[in-house]
Amino acid sequence: MTVHTVVTVPDDVVSGTSTSNPVPDARRSRAPSPWHLVLIPITFVLLVPLLWMLITSLETPDEAAQFPPTLVPHDIRWANYPDALNAAPFGQFFLNSAIVAVVVVLSNVVLCSLAGYAFARLQFPGKSLLFASLMVTLMVPFQVTMIPEFLIVKWLGIHVASGVGIDHLGALIVPNLVTAFGIFFLRQFFRTIPVELEEAARIDGTSRIGVLFKIVLPLSLPALSTLAALTFLDSWNNFLWPLIVIDSQSNMTLPLGLTFFQSAHATQWTLLMAGNVMSLLPMLVIFFAAQRYFVRSVAATGLKG
Amino acid sequence: MAVAAAPSSSRAGRRLVGRVARSEGATGWLFASPAAILIAIFGLLPIAWSLLLSFQKADLLTPDTPWVGTANYRQMANDPLFAGAIQHTIVYTSLFVPGTIVVGFLIAVALNRKIRGISIYRTAAYVTMAVSSISAAIVFLWLFDPVYGVVNYGLSLLHLPQQPFMSDPSQALFVIVLMTVWGWTGFAVVIYLAALQGIPQDVLDAAAIDGASRFTVLRTIVVPLLSPATLFLVVWLTINALQLFDEVYLSTRGGPLYSTSVVVYYLWDQAFRQFNAGYAAAMAYALFLVIALVTAIQFWLGEKFVHYSS
Amino acid sequence: MAQVELRNVTRRYGSDVFALRDLNLDVADGEFIILVGPSGCGKSTALRLLAGLDKPTSGDILIGGQVVNSMLPGERDIAMVFQNYALYPHMSVYRNLAYGLKQRKTPKHEVDERVRRTSTMLGLESLLERKPAQLSGGQRQRVAMGRALVREPRVFLLDEPLSNLDAKLRSEVRGELKRLHHRLGITTIYVTHDQVEAMTLGDRICVMSEGTLQQLGTPQEIYESPANVFVAGFMGSPAMNLARVPLVAGQVLWGGLPVAHVELGLDEVVVGVRPESFRVVGADEPAAVATVDFVEPLGSHNLVHVRMEASGAPSPAGAPSPQTAELVVAQVPTHERPTPGSRIRLGIDPMDVYLFHPASGVALTEVQLSPIARIS
Repeated sequence: MTVHTVVTVPDDVVSGTSTSNPVPDARRSRAPSPWHLVLIPITFVLLVPLLWMLITSLETPDEAAQFPPTLVPHDIRWANYPDALNAAPFGQFFLNSAIVAVVVVLSNVVLCSLAGYAFARLQFPGKSLLFASLMVTLMVPFQVTMIPEFLIVKWLGIHVASGVGIDHLGALIVPNLVTAFGIFFLRQFFRTIPVELEEAARIDGTSRIGVLFKIVLPLSLPALSTLAALTFLDSWNNFLWPLIVIDSQSNMTLPLGLTFFQSAHATQWTLLMAGNVMSLLPMLVIFFAAQRYFVRSVAATGLKG
Repeated sequence: MAVAAAPSSSRAGRRLVGRVARSEGATGWLFASPAAILIAIFGLLPIAWSLLLSFQKADLLTPDTPWVGTANYRQMANDPLFAGAIQHTIVYTSLFVPGTIVVGFLIAVALNRKIRGISIYRTAAYVTMAVSSISAAIVFLWLFDPVYGVVNYGLSLLHLPQQPFMSDPSQALFVIVLMTVWGWTGFAVVIYLAALQGIPQDVLDAAAIDGASRFTVLRTIVVPLLSPATLFLVVWLTINALQLFDEVYLSTRGGPLYSTSVVVYYLWDQAFRQFNAGYAAAMAYALFLVIALVTAIQFWLGEKFVHYSS
Repeated sequence: MAQVELRNVTRRYGSDVFALRDLNLDVADGEFIILVGPSGCGKSTALRLLAGLDKPTSGDILIGGQVVNSMLPGERDIAMVFQNYALYPHMSVYRNLAYGLKQRKTPKHEVDERVRRTSTMLGLESLLERKPAQLSGGQRQRVAMGRALVREPRVFLLDEPLSNLDAKLRSEVRGELKRLHHRLGITTIYVTHDQVEAMTLGDRICVMSEGTLQQLGTPQEIYESPANVFVAGFMGSPAMNLARVPLVAGQVLWGGLPVAHVELGLDEVVVGVRPESFRVVGADEPAAVATVDFVEPLGSHNLVHVRMEASGAPSPAGAPSPQTAELVVAQVPTHERPTPGSRIRLGIDPMDVYLFHPASGVALTEVQLSPIARIS
């Protein structure tokens, strides 16, 4: 179920640099603000879980199994990482997550663009009824559809192609190739592009598909990147659907693989944390590299993986 | 030669393509149909099928699904485990939603200033958004480990008694509240920070000149002007809270003693562990109705209390 | 009501950005004073310092003889009207007006009485239950005024309060502001970049540029004796024509016309003539000769844009080279409507010629120069 809101995010929120206020803040030029005394503890508390994960991942099993806990490891034990990789194929999990996410992102961008443009600009019979019925799926929580979806995927695997059936990566991809949310989101954005631009191109003899690819999509890069970022986050962090359709370890995505690893090594906290760090790292790198897009996207649409 | 025959047929082909391309209706269907077909199969069909299943007895394995009328719905009323799941979901939601909103609001207010290093603090607050629910749950499980956990260590420093946390039926749900509040903090901060930046500085200046103290400005100007963001967060967090699953699956599997068995966890268990797919479908529909109802009530209340600019 | 004083007030950002540099200003009790200048001149900074929304880097601010540097905005007993009005968007007009009084713990019946009185004065009675979003721009402006007035403050601060109104409404409200000030006599400090507002509203005008005070005086003084090139160029519409003119034996020749005599050992001076000081004259009168570029008819008069011919006699070819030609605007009666490209003879009364130091831009006073008697 999706709720749509329009929150404009000033660059300020994204980058933290001051650009919007014409009057520079008095505190900037003077002694450090007393607010640091508030913000440092807040930041520390927020980061403690991640810090503790990192610290544990570098401890020896003996250090981790101590009370009071070893807050600073005596010897940094990097070996936890290769050990974790030996215990579970994190590389495979990562690859599976990446394949699913990339395919789903690309197909969403293409298919939602086409459909979004059709609903935004073209007149065709049955348009409003079709649009309304697609939007119905936005209202319904995943729990309602997951059981029949399981049965459909199972049927497809038996009768159409095993690659899209139960326990195959295709089962994670095909049902998510397009989302009603993506269509709605792009349709709304396309409607804000001045129609005169398209009309000018059509008078010059450009076809509809040419207008879409040469005029509309280049102007929609912010919306397309927002959709891509959201779809990626969603796909990367999705857990319930992979849990339902994937059984074998070689087809698991990261969240599922991590869960599998956790239940198999429940007391080996150093390995578990090393595995967790490794599964978080790619997402953190991407997040820092594209923080602007993620923050803007999340605030703009209120989706979270 | 084929070459000789080609021109006429390809000209006709071009004419046909041209006519189709010129017809806006055909183009519209052409553009919309790939998405429409996929959504019909994986979105619309399951909605209807699920409704059908909710009146059937289905086990996901045998193709035979006998009609049972409203038995599945009646079973919900007489299932103590389902009643427990509802109760846990209500407790969880009523702690998680206000908790996340208060934490997010306070941090956003603290972050809404221009001082050196503010972008570092903001990034630290946002980073929880990049952490998947599963990763967060694993970390919190370790933090709250009853034997070796740092939280118990912190309690011992404060001369407070050690707690069993996840292994205690009366505490496990609260630990799940904490881990999910942490996971959603970045989201709430982003929403509130964006809304805070939308409040014109001169309105706050005007209130200062009118003699309002900082706290009064916060209470009488800032909080009311943030109400659209608050309503959005209430609705959005509630919808997500009612669908809690990942953290429960990873950390407790609904235990101990069903104390963290929430509706979606119970539903999943019924569908894919006990193979009572019909019953699960009925519960899913009930959840759907509840979510729709709660959202509608929240928006209705919002109409009365929320200030929308322009 | 109170007098307001700024003593050596400086506001610096970082180590070298001066928003305001050593400003001294005395505002008498009940005076209406205008701070005018281009954007970034420091006028708004000065107002924010007075309001207490910003703190001076050095210097003192006094209201009613008391140093208020460390007082919060709410403690200074001032009221402010903001450029964008800054109405509380979630409150009705009534609550907007009452907010400041409530913060001051005014008894409820008094709040009510004062809100009613102020809204009657401004014609807002029928709008009290509306939210700001339901008001027109002019109505919002009135509510902003009302919110300031209802408090009966010692000092009234206005930050470009008319800039968001259309031209007709602006002149209406201007008149109303003048009447209100006359009636209530509250010390008023008014920031604007609009010189018409400055000239029409102020008892005195404080012209500012780049954080420093350029000139303080009555509108008449500012117009008639600008202290320097900046004030001369900024005040007056259309702006004063300013040109750098070389001195030949102390003679100031402009468009071939001797307009002044300077004996200060300078090589050149800056000459200023207001567009309204030109007269179109016949061939028998001494005049600066210029080529008409284009004419803007304004109904009441015409503005003739001309290219002044290079100093000295008009060149025989009659076409001044573009490098030496200066663009000048002359305001002439409507019947003077020369065609573009034609020659025009412009007479200037030497008494209307302003001279400024070429380096400092400071006005050269009559003591320092000897105007040539008009040759008639």
